[in-house]
Amino acid sequence: MIGIIDYGSGNVQAIATIYKNLNIDYEVISDKSDLKKADKLILPGVGAFDATMQQLIDSGLRDELNDLVIRKKVPVLGICVGLQVMGFGSDEGDLPGLGWIPGRVKKFNINKIESKPKLPHMGWNTIKDIQNHSLFKGIDNEFGFYFVHSFYFECESDDNILTTSNYGINFTSAIYSDHIIGTQFHPEKSHGNGVLLFKNFAQL
Amino acid sequence: MKNTKYKVCRNCVMDTSDSKISFDDKGICDHCRTYYNDILPKWHTDEKGDKALKEIVKKIKNEGEGKDFDCLMGMSGGIDSSYLLYIMVKKYGLRPLVFHVDAGWNSQIAVNNIERLVDGLGLDLYTEVINWEEIRDLQLAFFKSGVSHIDTPQDHSFFATMYKFASKHNIKHILTGGNYSTECVRNPLEWMYYQSDSIQLKDIYKKYGTGKLKDYPVTNILWHKVFLPYFKKIKLIRPLDFFPYNKDEAMKTLVDKFGYQEYPQKHFESRFTRFYESYWLPKKFGFDTRKVQYSSLILTNQMTREDALEKLKHPAYDPKTIKQDFEYIATKLGISVKELQSYMDAPNKTYKDYKSQDNIYNIGAKVMRFLGLEKGGKR
Amino acid sequence: MLRSRIIPCLLIHNKGLVKTVNFKNPKYVGDPINAVKIFNEKEVDELIVLDIDATKENRGPNLKMIKSLANECRMPFCYGGGITTVEQARKIISLGAEKVALSYSALNNISLCQEIGSIIGNQSVVVVLDVKKKKIFGGYDIYTHNGTKKSNWKLNNFISKLEEIGIGEIVINSIDNDGVMQGYDLPLIENIREKCSMPITVIGGAGSLQNIKDLISKFKIIGAAAGSLFVFKGKYKAVLISYPNREERKPIY
Repeated sequence: MIGIIDYGSGNVQAIATIYKNLNIDYEVISDKSDLKKADKLILPGVGAFDATMQQLIDSGLRDELNDLVIRKKVPVLGICVGLQVMGFGSDEGDLPGLGWIPGRVKKFNINKIESKPKLPHMGWNTIKDIQNHSLFKGIDNEFGFYFVHSFYFECESDDNILTTSNYGINFTSAIYSDHIIGTQFHPEKSHGNGVLLFKNFAQL
Repeated sequence: MKNTKYKVCRNCVMDTSDSKISFDDKGICDHCRTYYNDILPKWHTDEKGDKALKEIVKKIKNEGEGKDFDCLMGMSGGIDSSYLLYIMVKKYGLRPLVFHVDAGWNSQIAVNNIERLVDGLGLDLYTEVINWEEIRDLQLAFFKSGVSHIDTPQDHSFFATMYKFASKHNIKHILTGGNYSTECVRNPLEWMYYQSDSIQLKDIYKKYGTGKLKDYPVTNILWHKVFLPYFKKIKLIRPLDFFPYNKDEAMKTLVDKFGYQEYPQKHFESRFTRFYESYWLPKKFGFDTRKVQYSSLILTNQMTREDALEKLKHPAYDPKTIKQDFEYIATKLGISVKELQSYMDAPNKTYKDYKSQDNIYNIGAKVMRFLGLEKGGKR
Repeated sequence: MLRSRIIPCLLIHNKGLVKTVNFKNPKYVGDPINAVKIFNEKEVDELIVLDIDATKENRGPNLKMIKSLANECRMPFCYGGGITTVEQARKIISLGAEKVALSYSALNNISLCQEIGSIIGNQSVVVVLDVKKKKIFGGYDIYTHNGTKKSNWKLNNFISKLEEIGIGEIVINSIDNDGVMQGYDLPLIENIREKCSMPITVIGGAGSLQNIKDLISKFKIIGAAAGSLFVFKGKYKAVLISYPNREERKPIY
């Protein structure tokens, strides 16, 4: 059963609908005692870093989540800010992240990018699957995924880079560490590619 | 003679789920007999048919000279109307106005196919969009009435709109994709009562509708079957009956030439019709329209009986997606899944439970058959 | 690299979809849910749905409808019309929309953009500006209430203010070009884009895929929205939903 964590941030509805239509067992979880029922977890997230991190803390889910992911190694997929909270922290805020994958979240420095792109990075972009991971099996890379963010995750180690994308500069668009995966883009809003990614995650 | 035990025709696949079916001593049903005795002898797809069609085409072209278009062609995006469009334009050089009625249930495939045909043939398209709030209410009224012909709101609006348009703009020729090749066996009235019966439609709406039908187009059997053809000289023509029409070949042609997308089953251009025929009708009433469709194809040698029987072993709907489809129908109608289910579970009614013009239809059908103007027809 | 977005924009009036010309004479286009479902299957980049009655009728958003529409979208969905409180915006996002669009509310109370942004994230706040050319002296005025009331805000000033606050996107809607299908107002966009560091989406005037291609060629990365183009076909303006498929989009991007 896929547990979609509802702590007040992210498009939980869209993810639920996708799993419903795939006929894959899922549950929207907002109570910490229900977290352990899931075989895999999805951590969505949208909005400012501190606000999201605070919501996760206030929901009472953070500690149980930490335990399940780190100690019990329950596979987890973080999306957008759900990926960003997996690091040590963000330039956008003051609160520390979950610290699951070494790295920090930085803002796109427009001044240092020649093409001076607009922020947020918003729209469809392609990904380069560095690790040939089965999460992306069957994905149409040219069609890509939908992004909307002004900050991105910078891994301390290249070993944690799952995919990269380009927005004037190359940046990390997905991270991983064994059973922990995070995507900066929104698979729940990326048509067929996204549906396939969710299906692949369930089958990992 | 009323059949109480299950029996299926030895020739086609119609069976006793059509409660009025009768069998001869060879086990052949009356649908087949009607086909062999009444339809086949008068159905010409050879030189005779070709000659007759060319006459009609000539008339259409004469009528249309100097005008923007010479006839009206109803287009649903389905294979029959699409193939018809292609043939009449490419082979016979007609200049139709392509007419599409949007009742709110178009599937993406249908919309895409219409676009491809219209663009590919360089034609003009006209659409009439039915007022959704009204047809939604009418649709719900039909669900509440418990009858089996709940696709009437869509069907009725298609024909009413087309006839009204033709009448308003004085277009003498309406071409439709109706054909014997895939429709020589008709749905029994018990399964699908006449969708053009406006008395029935109005009575059901009066009893179960919540508002008024102001924009929804209502036609009348006497108006479009008598007044229009005999007084205004507006004729409905089925060109697919005048030449050999093979469904598979037609599909192949459309796919090759226009990038046409195939439908999983007949009538899947409309999401509602798909739900209605593949799920609602069989589940609630035990009427499987595939039996009618396959039987037609068997009679015209486009399908084997074995193949049909094999297909009929599986449900018409996709068990993997039916739950989502059910929800979609409910959401679109503005009701809960529970409410829609309650209509499924409610007692079955028939057209006889409501006012109708069926006596006029009976007389009319007898007259038409007597005059040789119509072969076969619904029963 | 990021590509431009091609975005159908649907207007809702009396619960049905409509299309207007110069913001007038709404023509009935059909049922919203089926249209959105078809657009979703056509894999559109994004979708904007605006309720054009809400502000005029002084009522809030139709949450039931928003939920039904969001449910059909496997792509970002932006809803606008009648949003005046943070709570409404939050609820709309929780029902499955990605972005909320403000027009009159933002012009009336610009700090609302900030308040909403602090709850749902700035990237999810979109401001739609309906603009019309001034009769004399050049330049543009901002209008609200379906193009019937002129705003006191000067276009450039308002955009600067939005820059200061920081929102996700600006949608510039040309009333003059609305429904006319003769191309976008390129000079208008050129003028705004220079002053704006956030993403811009343009709507009003697209009559062909070539118009969209021209817009994207000129501005490289931009949102190209259209209503009539994706909803009407041919000289009789027959209602038929269309949108270029993946192959057809490649040369446009």
